[in-house]
Amino acid sequence: MAMKRRTTILVVLGLAAAFLVALWKPTVLIYGVQQAGLYAAIAIPMGLVLGIVHIVNLAHGEFMMVAAYATYFACRATGLDPLLAVLPSAAVTALLGWVVYKLTIRRALKAPELNQLILTFGIGILLSQGVNLLFTSQTRKISLEYVSASMTIGELSFGVWPFVFVIVATAMAVGLKLFLTRTTTGKAALAVGQNPRGAAIVGIDVDRTYGLVFALAMALVGGMGALFLTRSAIFPGVGGPFTMKSFCLVAMAGIGNIPGILGASLLLGLSESFLRAFRELRGWADIIFFVLIIVVILGRSLKGRKS
Amino acid sequence: MNRNLLRLAAALAGAAAVALPAFAGAYPLQVARNVIMYMALAITWDMLLRSGQISFGIAGLFGIGAYAAVLGVLRAGMSPWLSIAFAAAFAGAASFLIGFLILRLRTMYFSIVTLALAEIFRIVIHNLPEFTGGPEGVVLEGVIMKGSASGLYWLTLGGLAVALAASWGFEKSRMHFALTAIRNNETSAKSSGIDIFRWLLVAFVVTSSIQGLLGGIYVQSYGFATPDSVFDANFTLLPLAMALLGGIHSTIGPVLGAILLGLAAEWLKLRIPYGHLVVYGIIIIVVILFMPKGLYGLARKVSGAADRRRA
Repeated sequence: MAMKRRTTILVVLGLAAAFLVALWKPTVLIYGVQQAGLYAAIAIPMGLVLGIVHIVNLAHGEFMMVAAYATYFACRATGLDPLLAVLPSAAVTALLGWVVYKLTIRRALKAPELNQLILTFGIGILLSQGVNLLFTSQTRKISLEYVSASMTIGELSFGVWPFVFVIVATAMAVGLKLFLTRTTTGKAALAVGQNPRGAAIVGIDVDRTYGLVFALAMALVGGMGALFLTRSAIFPGVGGPFTMKSFCLVAMAGIGNIPGILGASLLLGLSESFLRAFRELRGWADIIFFVLIIVVILGRSLKGRKS
Repeated sequence: MNRNLLRLAAALAGAAAVALPAFAGAYPLQVARNVIMYMALAITWDMLLRSGQISFGIAGLFGIGAYAAVLGVLRAGMSPWLSIAFAAAFAGAASFLIGFLILRLRTMYFSIVTLALAEIFRIVIHNLPEFTGGPEGVVLEGVIMKGSASGLYWLTLGGLAVALAASWGFEKSRMHFALTAIRNNETSAKSSGIDIFRWLLVAFVVTSSIQGLLGGIYVQSYGFATPDSVFDANFTLLPLAMALLGGIHSTIGPVLGAILLGLAAEWLKLRIPYGHLVVYGIIIIVVILFMPKGLYGLARKVSGAADRRRA
């Protein structure tokens, strides 16, 4: 119930912001929505892991970065379009995620939460510095023609391609919702997320479910890595900020609330795009997520004190 | 007897550390200075960890201390010595503000906020170029004590002494019981009348001030600050790996870890200039999975087993 209310609040706030911005400068709205799509598509897998496996994966963005690098080199070698690499990249990162789960995270699940945080932090360093060691910190980019496709409505002209992130994010949210409520495996995963011990008692293989969910989340992030490459340049540290922003969005939505992430992303994307519209304020846009985290934490601790 | 032996060893090590400039050349002294600085950072990180809170914000608070010191000299005309004290005070005030806002929600929320600190401070520095020098950074007119190698070494050693004293203070006072109780079980700590929020805030502010102090010392010893040099991820990563490897929840663990890894780091930096940080990532993962109490814990376990066999 509280989840529903929070989702509604976030969506209403997001839409209200969208409306106000649209009245003022429609391009700001368009860029904000596109950015929101990117944020949401990366944050949703983190929300899935946090909601069911109950760990904060501090290596989240690094998995995306590794997928983007793998795609980059595969495409460079074969001349393939990164768009065709989305599915293979997802498969490879799913495998990587599953191996990482089996070798490390599984062993830390019973340990205090502290150990899990330090462990995934270490995995993130291993991935980003490993890439740095192998391929240096040089930025890499694949130039694609369709990415610069633009559209003109009246006096308004804007890029169309980034809307793909909005579509992907929405598809992820809907798909996961269906998966978690309609399929046997999904229902089992949801049960494990709510009460691992209870789920084990009724005969669900908790460990297998955790592994599966982690691999699924990493597959989504891996696909996003290939998609990210179509538009942006990559370097070893490119994933880090996404880890923190994703956590911010998941915390805003409330843990376990995947549709809420869409609303939260809309709010973050629009606020950043709003600040970027002013020349003097442009540089401050990347600080918004931090302010949002603090506001969320404050709000939650005040509510906790009341009850 | 054993305890007296330990005290004697500590006193000897201390005397040797103070006397080092008398018989070491410039390069070993430089290496020792690095090791000592990371050791102090590792100790402060561990001090907060004793309460069950993980900070990934060492680089952030270190860097903010460094900038406070530089700007204190350049913009407010402070003397270098005063600016180092100002660095500690400024980092302490910043951490008080942040801690006051967020420490009511803990563990992962605290960790993520601290993880973001370096990036956030870096953005602030970038965006106030007239005041902070922006991405290019700022340069001081000169280095403290005219850059005397032994002077700078003793100054850094002084920073370590502050960290050690605070750490022992934490271990010997009521702080120790409060933090351990909070770490073990917040609910039972609360019902024994411990004001969790207040103790955590004190611990966070004290450790952050020392990190800021070290940032001030660092920047006064090199004479310049750029966002990339003082918010370097190294300042978070190395102390973390050192404390974990040596053994957390103690003073001796981070000290051991810093000596081992600090020397290894110098060697690695020469062998693999890019990406040598990957080694610390591996160390962190391996220690957390296979020996969560670190080398010190391992040694205690081994010697404990030997004692039992003898008995």
